[in-house]
Parts: sequence; structure tokens; C-alpha cells
Amino acid sequence: MIPILSHTDAQTVSFAIWAVALPFVAFALNLLLFGKSKIAALISTIAIVASLVLAVKVFLSVWNAPVIHAQTTWFIIGATKVQAGLLLNNLSVLMLLLVPVIALPVHIYSIAYMKADEGYSRYFRYLSLFCFSMLGLVVVDNLILLYAFWELVGFSSYLLIGFWFTRQSAVMANKKAFIMNRIGDIGLLTAIIILYTLFGTFDIQALFGKDGFVQLSNIAAGMWAGPHSAIPAVWQYVAFAGIFLAVAAKSAQFPLHTWLPDAMEGPTSVSALIHAATMVAAGVFLLGRVYPLFIESELTILAIVGAFTAFMAATIALTQNDLKRILAYSTISQLGFMVLAMGVGAYASSLFHLVTHAFFKCLLFLVAGIVIHQMKHIKDDSNLDIDPQNILYMGGLRKKLPLTFIATIIGALALIGLPLTSGYLSKDGILIQAFDWAESRGAIFNIIPYAALLTSWLTAFYVARLVVKVFFGEFRLHKANPHIHIHMGDGSWLYKAPLVFLAICSLFPLFSNSPIFYEDAWIYKSFLPSNFLARENLYHIIIPALVNILAVVVMYAAFAIYGKRNAWAFPQAGLLYRLSFNEWYIDRFYSRVIIKFVMWFSNLLYWFDKKVVDGVVDLFTNMGIALAKLAAWLDRNIVDGLLHLVSAVVQSIGNFARRFQGGKVQYYLYSMLLVVAVVFIFKMIF
Amino acid sequence: MIAQQDFMIVSVLLFCIGLFIIVSKKNAIQILIGIELMLNAAILNLVAFGKFDRANNGGQVFALFAIVLAAATTAVALAIILNVYRRYKTINPDKINQLRD
Repeated sequence: MIPILSHTDAQTVSFAIWAVALPFVAFALNLLLFGKSKIAALISTIAIVASLVLAVKVFLSVWNAPVIHAQTTWFIIGATKVQAGLLLNNLSVLMLLLVPVIALPVHIYSIAYMKADEGYSRYFRYLSLFCFSMLGLVVVDNLILLYAFWELVGFSSYLLIGFWFTRQSAVMANKKAFIMNRIGDIGLLTAIIILYTLFGTFDIQALFGKDGFVQLSNIAAGMWAGPHSAIPAVWQYVAFAGIFLAVAAKSAQFPLHTWLPDAMEGPTSVSALIHAATMVAAGVFLLGRVYPLFIESELTILAIVGAFTAFMAATIALTQNDLKRILAYSTISQLGFMVLAMGVGAYASSLFHLVTHAFFKCLLFLVAGIVIHQMKHIKDDSNLDIDPQNILYMGGLRKKLPLTFIATIIGALALIGLPLTSGYLSKDGILIQAFDWAESRGAIFNIIPYAALLTSWLTAFYVARLVVKVFFGEFRLHKANPHIHIHMGDGSWLYKAPLVFLAICSLFPLFSNSPIFYEDAWIYKSFLPSNFLARENLYHIIIPALVNILAVVVMYAAFAIYGKRNAWAFPQAGLLYRLSFNEWYIDRFYSRVIIKFVMWFSNLLYWFDKKVVDGVVDLFTNMGIALAKLAAWLDRNIVDGLLHLVSAVVQSIGNFARRFQGGKVQYYLYSMLLVVAVVFIFKMIF
Repeated sequence: MIAQQDFMIVSVLLFCIGLFIIVSKKNAIQILIGIELMLNAAILNLVAFGKFDRANNGGQVFALFAIVLAAATTAVALAIILNVYRRYKTINPDKINQLRD
């Protein structure tokens, strides 16, 4: 059944399709026509601009309007008809808008940032492919297509992480990201299969929409009953586990988060777009899409994992020295907040935070890109043996990079969540709702909001540390090497324009009239369920105040420790320091235990394959050879032997007989005489 | 009186000598002589057994026929031998083997 669309709806749908397809067109053009040309950047950027314009149109016509769901028959297997189409609701059009809005500044920035790189056009090709995958992911209405785009997103991320594939570390990092994402993909696939088994459809709207199958299903007496059939309830938990794995892999949640810090091997602009703003949000987006599936206890698991991830990543970020790694861990931490928000039922806040986080984290990464770029220039000019990403070499850059500094301050404040920024609006919403949620449950649940609260202070500390180390104090590299020539600046407008745009988007006016109350934000309002609780208890005043006052104190402490005295905040030999510095030993645990086990198991399988499987095959081969040899011997000696015997007999008879036919006339006579004599003798005897 | 048996003994001896000449000699003329001896053995038999047909003298008549025929065949055979000799420059029958194999 194809619903009849009105004219405007049909137009909206075609706009959405073009918004998704244009980056792919750019990708195809770059791939086929402009393999090595510099025009690739222009084509990709134009495609994303057009995408943005179309996305804005789609957004304006769908936002807070009835859902548009257009589909057509994709394929039919037996009685199963699989539909493919677009599902444009608030969630998808918000993401549809967000992706090009973030991608456009990144494209512009990349034109300058990647200018000197050999793989310039390859870079834009991959970038367009990624944009296509991400845009496709958010609009499709069908779990199979969702899965396909989910994989495509992972694949294009793999390409971009390993963009500098000549570096060993980049190759390792993209392999790691890909494998971890595969683990998540398996989970998603499992969940899709289970959902199809129970409900018989892949249609997201039919499954998760209002009064969809999932809402109508219930778990009773150990069975998970859908409208048509029922399966054991354990499959519901397996489906949740699959979705959770997918989310954990894509959105870098514990225990599958370790690929994200390593993914920073890609170009910084890629980190900004993919590993901070958009792709990692895909997990949260998936949670938003399948939200009705989760039952109470599963949401609690999400909340616990989110809170734990947020806290763990924040503690790790405290002691890292690599600029991008700190930002990567802060991304993991913020994604933890989003998952936590989904877990505590703060659906609207979670998506709101996703949007605001995309802006300020993208901004911070672009800033980091500029800083790293400048440090790399110094390194190359002076032939220094330093890591250009190490913040210990930086310092005092605020005078050299004034605009970058201001942008960083705005991004940092938004990340910490101080008032007047967008981060404040979204993050405090999450915290408050977490407290509300915990209050309606047992005391033990209070751990989650308190962990989140602690995390936001830790965030304040490490962000302040980062900013102080990079922009305040004195330039430590210059101090250590007084002779080097330092020449740095904010760069051209290609650098500046994206920063300014993203910095403006990180402030509150874009999202809300009021800088204080998150409830006024328009994104937040649009996602609210009907049974929304109004601002009622004390938390709503205490928590923002508490968070912000303490955050300011913490920031000052960081400034005092790192800016003034330039000291270490933590004893470097302490257990906690080592735990944090070594990233909770999770990576080491993986490589020592899991990878080792997997390698051992693979080797075992290899051995098994080599010795047993190949051995059996070899045995059969040898048996075959032996049989063939036996057959050959038989053939040669028995079959051929018989023939040879026959021929030999015939030959000898012939040889014997031809003696009588030797052409000697007298011999004929002689033999005739002999025969006559023999006959005669016989006659005489018998 | 010469007994019938003596004729036959002479005839057998003649025949055997002729046969021996035919199978052992390497000269076509000598073989021809052997053939003549065997013919004469047969003719001797015809003559010897002719006494049992006193009325018609069939044996003697047959012997005369045989002698004439023998003369004719000898003439033909000598002509052949002459031609063979022209062709092969030999009259050894062992060497005349062009039709062999």
C-alpha cells in the first residue's frame, strides 16, 4: 500500500531524497571524473550546500507537523513484501538538518586544512560518501536500509580514520574502529531479525510509531507477545542487548568505547565531523528511533552504562596530554550523558544535548585542528622532534591565535555547561531529570545522578586544564627552544568562518529565548511526551546553581594549578593517576586478555584447519593417489597385459606362419611335402 | 621276367630323386630336371601298369600323352626361366622374391 501524498508532501519527500542523494552524486563525480583534481573540494562543498538548503526546506515543512511517511515496494520474497521509503518526523528531520549544518563548516574548513595534503580529492570523496551515508541513515523508514546505511557510515568512517594509511598507527586505529563497529553491527542485525520474527515487518513507523507493534506488544508469562504471534521473552532481552551493542559500538559507550580515542588518527576535520558531531550520535539516534522497545529495567541498564561511561571517560580525560585524545574522551563522556538521558527517560533532553554537543564539540575539534596545524608548522620549520598534539608543549597561544582563543572559550564553556551557552541548556536538563528519575526509585539509584553531577565537575576541570595548558601561561615549546622562529595566526577566512559560525551556534539564542531554563528550548519542547512533568521540585533550582557554582570553583582551581603555578594537580605516581593516565587499563585489558584469547583461538583454529581439516583432505588425496596408482598398475599390467598377451600370441602365430610364406618356392613345396607326410603317417597310425 | 614290383621300386627311386632335386637345388634348370625325373617316374608307372590293359594299351597311350605334355611344359618352363633370368640376372629361386611381403 502506497499512501497517497499531497502535493506539498510529495515535494518535501523529493527534497529529502535529493538532500540525501546530492553528496552521493558528489562522491560519484569525484570518483569517476575528478580523481586527482582540486575541483573535488568544490563539488563536495556545493553538494553539501545544496543538501543544506533542501534540508532546511524539509525541516521547515515537517518540524512539528504530522509525520510524512512515503514508501514504495522494494522487493517481495514469497508473501513478504518489503517496503523502502522515507520517514520524516521530528527526529529524522532534526538530524537531516544537523548533519549538513555541521558538515558545511567542516567542508569549508577542510578546503584550507587539507590543502597541502596529497590525498586532497580522495579526502573530499570520502567526506561526501560519509555525508550521504549519514543523511541516508537518518531518513530511512526501514530497518534493512537503516542497517545498510549504518554499515556505510561505519565503512566511510573506517576510510577516513585510515586516511593517512601509510601510518601504521592509522591503519591499526581504523582496523580497531571497524572491528568494534562490526561487533555492534552484529548486535543490530540480531535485533532486526528478532523484531522481524515477531512482528513480520521492517517498517520503523509500523514497529515503533504511535500505536505501533512494539507499543502493542507486551511481556507476560515468559512470552513476548506481539499482535500476531508470540516468542519467548528472552528474545526481547536479546534484542535489547543487540541494540545496546550497536549503540555502544557506534556511540563509543563502555565497553566498546576504545576505538574512539584511537580514531583520532584521522585528519582533525574528520574527527570534528564524524567522531565528535555526527557519526557517534548515530547510536543515540538509533536509541531515539527504537525507544518504545525498551522496558523499564533495560532503560535502567542504559542509564547505568551511560553514567559509568561518562564518569570513566571524564576521569581519563583528566590526565591525558594529547589534545585530540582529551577531546575524544570528552566526546565519549558527553555521549554517555546522552545515553544516560535516554535511560532516565529524558528523551527530549538527550536529543537536545545531541544537537548542542554536535556544535560545540565540532567547534572544539576545529580549534584543535588549527592549534595542531600551527604546532606542526613550527615543528616542520624548525625540525623539532615533538608531538604537535601534545598540550605540554603549548601554552600562551591566546595572543597568537586570538579568534581561535575566543572560539575555544565559547566551546569550552558550552562543554562545561555554564549559563548563556547551549551546553548549559541541554546538560542541566539531563541532570535535573536524572535526579527526578532517581527520586521516584530507591536510594541506590541516586548513584547515577550523582555520578553525572561529579562528571560535570570533572568536565569543568579537564576542560579548564586543556584551555589553560594551551592558551594561558607561556609558550613552553618556545621556552625550551628559545631560538625557534614562531610565526602563527588564525589563518584565512576558510578557517575563521566555520569557527565563528559554530561559536554562534554554541550560544543559547539559537536554541532558546531564555538562557536559564532548558524547558524553553524549542528542540526540547518538540520531543516532549504528552505526560510531561512541569518544573515542580527543588532540584530544578538547586542543581543548576550547584553545578555552575562548583564548576566555576573547579575551573578556577584548574587555572590556579596549571596557569599560575604550572604544577601537576595529581601525584603522578598515585594509583588513581595511573588508572586515569592508562585509560583505566581497558585497552590494555583488551589487548592482553581478549585479543590474546582471540589470537590464541585463531591460532588454534589455524592449527585445526592446517592439521585436521587439511589433514583429512590430504589423507583423501593420498588415498586417491594410492588408488590411482593401483588402478594404473592394474591397467598397465592386467588389462594391457591381456591385450599384450593376445597380441603377442597373434604375433608369434603370425611369425610362425609367415615362415611358410617366405617367398621361397622350394620351401612351399617342402612344407607341402611335410604336411602330406604327416597326414600319411596319421593315416597309417589310426 | 621283370616283376611289377621292380618297376615300382625304380619308379619310387626316380620320384624320390626328382623330389630331392626339386627341394634341394638352387638352380631353376636343375629343378626342372627334377620335375622331369618325377614325371618319368609317373610315366614309368603308367607303362608298367599298362600290361593290365592289353586290349586298348591305355597305359602306353597315357604315357605318350604325358611325354608330349612334359615336353610342352618343359618348353614353357624354359621360356619362363629365360625371362626370369633376363629380369633378375639369376635363376636361383630363393633370390626371386619380389612378391614377398
